[in-house]
Amino acid sequence: MVLITVRLPPQATLEQATRRLGLRDEEVDTGYDLVLIDPRRGLYGLRVTEAAAHRISPASCGGTGPHSDPRIEPYGPPR
Amino acid sequence: MRVLIQLRPTPDVVAAVADPGVTTTTADVSDGLPGVVLDNSFVPVAVPRPVPATGGDPLSLNQALTFSLAAEHASVLVRGEISDDELSTRLTLLPNTRSDVIGVHADPVIESSIVCGGDAPVGDWHDVERLLRVADLRSEGLDGSGVPLAIVDTGINAAHVAQRIGHTPIIDARNSWNPSGVSGSAGDFDVDHGTMCAFDALISAPKASLIDIPVLLSRRPGGSAMDGLLSDAVAAFAHLRTVLDALPAATRSLVVSNSWGSFSPRWDFPVGHPGNYSDNAAHPFNLVVASLEQAGADVLFAAGNCGRECRDSRCAYPDRPIGGANSHPRVLSVAGVDTEGERVGYSSQGPGRLTQRKPDICAYTHFSGSGAFGDDEPDSGTSAACPVAAGLVSAIRTRWPASALSPSQLRALLRRTADDRGGVGFDYDYGYGVLDVAGILASLRRRDLRVA
Repeated sequence: MVLITVRLPPQATLEQATRRLGLRDEEVDTGYDLVLIDPRRGLYGLRVTEAAAHRISPASCGGTGPHSDPRIEPYGPPR
Repeated sequence: MRVLIQLRPTPDVVAAVADPGVTTTTADVSDGLPGVVLDNSFVPVAVPRPVPATGGDPLSLNQALTFSLAAEHASVLVRGEISDDELSTRLTLLPNTRSDVIGVHADPVIESSIVCGGDAPVGDWHDVERLLRVADLRSEGLDGSGVPLAIVDTGINAAHVAQRIGHTPIIDARNSWNPSGVSGSAGDFDVDHGTMCAFDALISAPKASLIDIPVLLSRRPGGSAMDGLLSDAVAAFAHLRTVLDALPAATRSLVVSNSWGSFSPRWDFPVGHPGNYSDNAAHPFNLVVASLEQAGADVLFAAGNCGRECRDSRCAYPDRPIGGANSHPRVLSVAGVDTEGERVGYSSQGPGRLTQRKPDICAYTHFSGSGAFGDDEPDSGTSAACPVAAGLVSAIRTRWPASALSPSQLRALLRRTADDRGGVGFDYDYGYGVLDVAGILASLRRRDLRVA
């Protein structure tokens, strides 16, 4: 899965985002939900399948993507 | 700058220096050189002359050679120091004005005992307490009281921290947060990396309110044991934004300690791709970091454990290992020194990927502390250095909230007052230097006087 961003009004929901972007339920990580990235710009993030991210156009909703979602690990103890 | 000066004194002096049965001194070799403070404690050393075979090139070292210590061939090294502001002039003038000077060479510091992963602890957390002048901080009332300090990691075991540090930590359960799918209560996770981070943060901020954010426990599809995904951190920072926004603007502060990162470009889109993370300030996580900092949070990231001398085996970036948010212009990137002030060999070096001038500063690591990995195991990695620095930031925030001293002003203060190490000024090993609490407190007092 990858990250995409989308611009939405305040208090937006995942359902609004998926409808706006034309995403199907199985293409979205619903457990992750919709995350507010920058309140000043109304920018939200969500996780979708890579295929969906390429099929839709986040830019048409003021968003961006697909963005990588790399693994993160603790920086210690050094191995 | 310390230098080695290569001299060709008279053959009898060369013979004396080369003779192991004769003791010679720098004064025997040279009666002084203009602009050089000779080190009389250094015993002069004879340097053999490379001699090519008959007919060989006298200027080439890439051929069969013999090495002659004969008095008419050898030269002698002495040690001295040239003032930094005269260096280039002296380097030019010395061989031209003194016929016995045949070379001036750098004499760099060499470190034979640099600390690496797996080495025994260097000192303990009471040494860190002393080095951070915790007694001075306490006498000024700077103990982290009322300051929210988020540990974004593997979760905290408060009972273990209490047993090791001698007091019960304050866990802010209401503002703590789990990624979806992670069960467990704030302060009640297994003893692991996050517990170490909490312990180390409390060294200088014992009364900070710990917000437990176990993002590295996520089991979201695509992750594996003991790691998470960056999207979990995006969600965690979005949560922390709501925590910060709920605080009164006048007294608002939030310190966020992050002892993690991404070791490999394999998990990322290529550099140059618009969705890349490591080198792209427009990645959603880098945006949410900027947004949180702008709202008043102090965000600290470990620089990483990919130092050239003994890098972590997971490090897969061929160069510039400080990337993504760990190199963000709006965060404090923390490198590691041991309690003797020497950089640990695994501490990642700059330049950073989002910002060249990384790391920013150094804090202490590789000391006996939390015992989270066993009684004899140190709190190590820049993983330990980051919360040590975050604890100090929290102590400062006890009196100076973000409305009085913005996160960028505080970062500038920490850089400006740091105890300069390595090269003069900023360098890619130590950043601006090691956190210096005396300098910080003096600067804050001066600032208060100006404001009054």
